[in-house]
Formats: sequence, structure tokens, C-alpha cells
Amino acid sequence: MNCEVCQLKELEVEHFEIREVLRCILHTIVFHRALGLVRPKDVDLELFEITYVQCGDVELEKKIDEKIDQFISWVEKHPNKKSQICLSFYEVKSKQPSWFTNKTERLYWEQWYVNLNVTQQPKQHSSKSHHTKVVVDPGESANEERSSRRAMVEASLREVLFQIIKFVNEKKDHVPPISEGVIYFPYEITMPSSSDSAFGMDMIKRMLHSGHPTMLS
Amino acid sequence: MEMDRESGKLEQIVSQFRSKILHVILNSRIPSLHHHYQQQEPLSLARVRKSDKWFNLVLGDRAAALENLNFSLRNLLDPMIIDIILVHHSSCSSSVDNLYTPSAAVGSPSDETVIERWVVQYDCARVNATPSGADTSSSYKKTYKKSIILLRSLFAQMRLLPAYRIFRQLSSLSQTYNVDLVYKVSSFSHPFSREEEGAMKEYSFVPVEAFPGRLCVSVTYRTALSDFNLEPLVSLPSNIITDYVGSPTTDPMRSFPSEKGFHATSFSIRGARPPSPSPFQRPHSWSSGFHKGLPLMQNQSLAGSPPAYRTSPKPYDVVSPQSDIYGNRIRSRLPTLQQATAYDEYQLSPPFSASASPSPPAYLSGANPVVAHHCSETAPVTIPFPLTGRNSFYLSLNSSDPSRHSLPPLSPRSSKHDASSQESPSGIRSYRKLEALRAGESPSGLSINYSAQKMVRDTKDDSGRFSGLLSSSGSPRIGFSRSSSRLSFQDDMDDCEFSCPFDVDDIDVSDSPASQNIEGKKALDFTAQSVPVGKKSQDAAVGMLVHMLRTAPPLRQDPSCYSTHSSKTVGYEGGVGTASGFFMPCKTADALEELKSYREMRDLLLSKSGTRVVRKEGTRVVRKEEM
Repeated sequence: MNCEVCQLKELEVEHFEIREVLRCILHTIVFHRALGLVRPKDVDLELFEITYVQCGDVELEKKIDEKIDQFISWVEKHPNKKSQICLSFYEVKSKQPSWFTNKTERLYWEQWYVNLNVTQQPKQHSSKSHHTKVVVDPGESANEERSSRRAMVEASLREVLFQIIKFVNEKKDHVPPISEGVIYFPYEITMPSSSDSAFGMDMIKRMLHSGHPTMLS
Repeated sequence: MEMDRESGKLEQIVSQFRSKILHVILNSRIPSLHHHYQQQEPLSLARVRKSDKWFNLVLGDRAAALENLNFSLRNLLDPMIIDIILVHHSSCSSSVDNLYTPSAAVGSPSDETVIERWVVQYDCARVNATPSGADTSSSYKKTYKKSIILLRSLFAQMRLLPAYRIFRQLSSLSQTYNVDLVYKVSSFSHPFSREEEGAMKEYSFVPVEAFPGRLCVSVTYRTALSDFNLEPLVSLPSNIITDYVGSPTTDPMRSFPSEKGFHATSFSIRGARPPSPSPFQRPHSWSSGFHKGLPLMQNQSLAGSPPAYRTSPKPYDVVSPQSDIYGNRIRSRLPTLQQATAYDEYQLSPPFSASASPSPPAYLSGANPVVAHHCSETAPVTIPFPLTGRNSFYLSLNSSDPSRHSLPPLSPRSSKHDASSQESPSGIRSYRKLEALRAGESPSGLSINYSAQKMVRDTKDDSGRFSGLLSSSGSPRIGFSRSSSRLSFQDDMDDCEFSCPFDVDDIDVSDSPASQNIEGKKALDFTAQSVPVGKKSQDAAVGMLVHMLRTAPPLRQDPSCYSTHSSKTVGYEGGVGTASGFFMPCKTADALEELKSYREMRDLLLSKSGTRVVRKEGTRVVRKEEM
């Protein structure tokens, strides 16, 4: 099975925008891959005039928020760095145990790379808050600059969402059949850990499991 | 056969796909349908209807309009074209402005603009090779899976297109705009003009293979909608309500004089005129409008019993006319293409709110200018014309007959039950008469009250008649006699021109030989001959209300009062004085207050009736002294 990879357009975001941007992108991807019975839920972003769709699963939402918290913690430790979050969908295949593999094997059939360029120092307030607010600087010029920058981020985010929709529409054959009672395919969210080398090791491990070289564009 | 089964499944998939897409599009573009969806209680996924589980996308029940549309577009080979149309209303808010300003400015967008056009088509133009049996069995599964993905992406994309922002604004319940979103579904459409095409973009979803054809979905949408100025309708046009009556909550001048502690019962039973500066003023006559007494009546009912006789909801019980106007305006704005469910958004705001102090009925204030004048000065209370009569009769029964204190609440409907609970035979007899009278509708209530009043006060004077009645009834109960006197009163009303109905003593003056016929048929006759509302009964109503208030039981139902009264029921030698003495400990101050209000109301009414009342008043004074 081919592993389809989609590298999303890089977004230049500030620290306080990370949570909203990641939530929007990750949930949009999962919604297109949650092919079980769902009741879609519209969510309005607070920082941007964008509405995205969640599949309405509470557990999923919790898991994604946890991963976003981890990512934000990593960003705080590695400021002003380009970062990447990988959302992978896989199938679990049982395999004969051997030296290098476990009983079960994950066959990744789709990977999404969310590329972020965090451009600002992390704020002092807790990153766990779900509603990070913009600190408005005094002065009209600062406000204008901020609003124009915000508009750019919004437009970029909208482009990313269109990109997801386009990819989802164009690539359908590799999607495995839907299991009964399953809402969404097994997924995995990986991000750079505290050390970059560990992140690289994760990538190599994935390559070994999938059996195909990871397509990096 | 296998092929037929598979093709049947595929056809069903295609049909349901069209329905689902229509549902998704309209739910995301038409505010009224969106509200219909929002108002549904979200069921757990396990309890979702089977029809809603198609493509694993739960959208809720479809509006009736959608069901009809689905039925009308059953031909799967025809394209389904869904136009989302932005209807722009005139920016002028008043019709007057329209006379002086052009209806549409030069260069402004047209009134109706197609901002999105969705085309859903099952394209069978390409004839694929006939697949094998194994392929066909899995083809519809693949088709179904891919259809699910397509619908997901369509659902997400609908939130990213420019029209979604307008939809969200129009869906807002807190604001109304000068534009509306409507839809048109058909199997054909007029092509866009070149100018329109220039302002639009097209996006086509990747078709889904659905042997022997494929499902194609595309959208042509306007990229910029800033030309359509969404003007929020902030101000409402002025609308002068000529017959607005208002309520105490809105008009501080109109307030219930409840704090004055009116107690009609004490006043009426006592009968004696409390010390007043004007000896010629009758205590139980209206001095300034007859509305003043009504709050007392209501208070009594509320205190002693549930306000069962609260008047039926009247259209003039408008406390917040603004909301009513707002609601009406909004409804008129909605285009006919909008679904009826658009009105659902106005249910939050209740158009009418029942006020504790209801405003006086418009018909009364309009019919009787005197009353209308009083309305401006007194508490705006509805005059439950027929009901109050009955209820006051109940009240008078309660007050005068000890057995009546166990009467159920003041509900004209419950009179039957009341009768069953009575211990005294006369009480039961009275109730039977009341039943008969009630059958004859409102005016009988009036006459009952008057007669009751008369009986309470003038038992000795009319002892001849009443005693006769008493003897015939075999019971000295006043209730019994009251009914009889009612008959005579009704005759009086018919005979004489009753210009001052609030002068209860007039009944005594023009006494005619009492009729001992206490059958209900006579009551019905009275009903037929009763003074019609709006003519002479205007005054009769005033008098009736005075009487009711006088005979009404006190707000604070002191059992001791009733028990004391029971011992003094027989033999009104003391006459009104006895009764007054009975009630004196309870309601003296209240009676005085009540008297003052009656006096004021009466003065106003007397100014209308002229000197005749004064003459009658003198007669009444004489009669009271005799007692």
C-alpha cells in the first residue's frame, strides 16, 4: 500500500497563535479521515475568521489538545525555530514476531506534515490555556501592523485548509476500508522531541515499519 | 440478478448522495433551515435515524421543504442545480423615503444575485467496461467510501467559501439585515452572464466513480461579496399605536392602588357609610372610574383563591408592543422563498408578556369615554365583565353565608363543584340558581350581584318579599333570597331607565313586586333582556363592580370573621350595622380607603349622569336610616 504524504504549506505564526492554528489543521485532517458515523461540529476560531469542522469525538479532541500542549512546550524550549508536526494514519497488522519487529505492525498509509515557523518568543502566561488572547500593544501603528499580519496568517491558514481538501479529494484510493464501529482510523501525532536526533530516529523507525522510503518534498 | 442487486444499491447510493448534498448545502447557507437544525435536540449517535446515517454524516432531521425537494428531483440522470441567491432589500426604511429617493442607486448590486451555484450530477456519459461480478460487489462499497470522503470535503469547504460569512451573519438572531439568503433547486439553470462569470470562480470536486457513471460535484461561487452591503437594521420605524392602553409597568401613572388595601367585602357588608366629608356621597358608588375596584377584586381572588377568573388572554394585553412590532416587522421582511421555519427564531422573545396588572380592555375604554378618562387616572385593570359578576356573586355568597366560606376558588367553572361542597340546603339551592343564571351568560351575573347587594343591605326593608321567599324556600339563607331579589332587580332594570347603575339603591326605589319564580328559565329570560354591554350596561357594569367589591370577601380571609358571621347570619335586625360591626374589627381602615376610591370614581361618573343621581342618592340615604 502506498503511503501518501502531504506536506502542507509553511505557516508563519506567533506563539499565541500556535494552539488555534494547530487545532484547526489537525482537526480538519482528522475529520476527513474520520469516516465512521460522526456528527460534525463547527468550531469558530477566535483569532481568525475561519470555521473548521471537528468530528465531535471528545477523546480525539482531548488527545489532540495534549499533543498541542507538548508541541508548545517544545517550542518554548526551542524558540524561533521551524518545527513540524506529523499526523500519520496507519493500519495495524499482525506479524510474526521477530528480532526487529513486534507482533503488531503499523502500516502507515498517509502522513501529513504541518510546517510551522514560530516567530515570537513564548509568552509568560500558561500555554495550557485554551483561549490565548492577543496582547494589544499601544499605538495605532502596532495595531495596524498586527492586523495586517493577522490577515496574512488567516489567508495562509485558509490556503492550508484548501490544500487539505484538495489532497483529500485527489487521493482516495489508498484509504483503507472502514471498519464497523470505528469512527476514525488509527492515527499518530509525532513532533520533534526535546532532541532533534530523537525526532530523526522516529522518522527512521517509521520508514522501517512502512517499508517505503518516506517521500519528502 | 447479482448485477441487478448491485445496480439497485448503486442507484440508492446516488439518490441518497444527492439528498445528502442538498441537505449539507442548504443547512450551511439558508438561515431558516439552519435554525431548524439547531433547534433539534442532538440525539446520541446510536439513536440517529437510519436515513440520517447515510454517508456517516449525521445532519439531523430534514426540514419539510427539503423532503419535498428530494421528491421532486427523483430523476437521477438530471443534474441537480442549487442556486444560493442573495436577495438585497431596499435600503430605505420607510415608505416615505421611497417616494423621494430612487429605489436603487446606480452601480449597486441587483436585487437578486446568485452567489453560489452547486451542480450535482450523475454523469453517465462515459460508458465504462462492464466490470466482473467480483468488481461490482466491491464497486458500490468503494463508491460509498469515496462518496463519504467527498461529502466530508464538501462539508468543510462550505465553511471556507465567501458565502459562509454572510450566512453566519444572517443566522445571527441578535441582528437583522437588509439581505436574505434564499435558494432555488432545479434541474436546469440560466447561464451566467459574462459579467457574472468574471466575478465568479469554479471549483470541481474530484468525481467519484459510481459505475456505470460517476458522481460529479462542482461549485461556481462569487469570490468577493463586499459589494453587498449588509446593513444591519438597527432602528425600527416609528409606529404610532393610536389605541395603546399600556400597563402599570410602563405607565407610572397607572398603578394598582393595592397598597391602599381595598377590601370590598368589608365595605359592602357593612353597608354603612364610613365617615366621609360628603354625606351625600354614597359609599358604594363609583367616584372615579370603575377600574379602581378591579385591582381589589383581583387581589381578593389572588389572596383567597387562585386567580382562576383571570380574564382570558386578550389581544390588548400588550405589555411590550415594541417586541410585537419588531416581530411583525421581521416577519414581513422575510421573502416568501424563505421557509416558514424562519419564524422559529422569534420564539425567544415572547411577544406578549402577561403583566401582573393587566391593562384595561380596549373595547371598554373606547366605548365609554368616561371610562377611558378614568383609565388615565386609575389602575388599568381589565374588567372581566361576565366573570367578575359571577365571581363577585361567589364572593358575596362567601361573605354572607357561613357555609360559603368553604367554597372553592373563584372560578365560574367550578361552581358545580362548589354546589356539591355546600352543607346548607339553601346554599345548594342558590348554586343551582347560579348555574341556571350562568347558562344565560354575563348579564345575569350583573343582576345577581345587584340583587345580592340589595339583599345584604335591605333585608329588613324588603322583608315582606324576602320573607315570603324565605318561607317558600324553607330556609332563611340569604343566598336563596338573593336569587329572588335578583329577579326583581332584573325586572327593575327592564322597567326603568337605569342611568346610574352604580347606585345600587336605585334597585330598591324601583322595586316591583317580587317574583317568586326562581326557576332558571326566568334567569335565562333576564339574560336575554339584560342591558347590553356598551350601551346602558356601561353604567350597569360600574354599578355591578361596585357591588362586587362591596360584597367581596376580604383579602385576608380570617376564619374568625366567617365564624362570627355565621352566628349572625339569621336575622339581620342589626341590618347593615350588624354586618358592619362584624367586619369592623377586620377592615375598618381598608374600608375607608375603599370608600375614598369609590367616591372618586363615582364623582367622575356622576358628572356624566347629572342631577338624577343626586336625587336618588337622597332617597338612598333615607332608606339607610330606616335600617
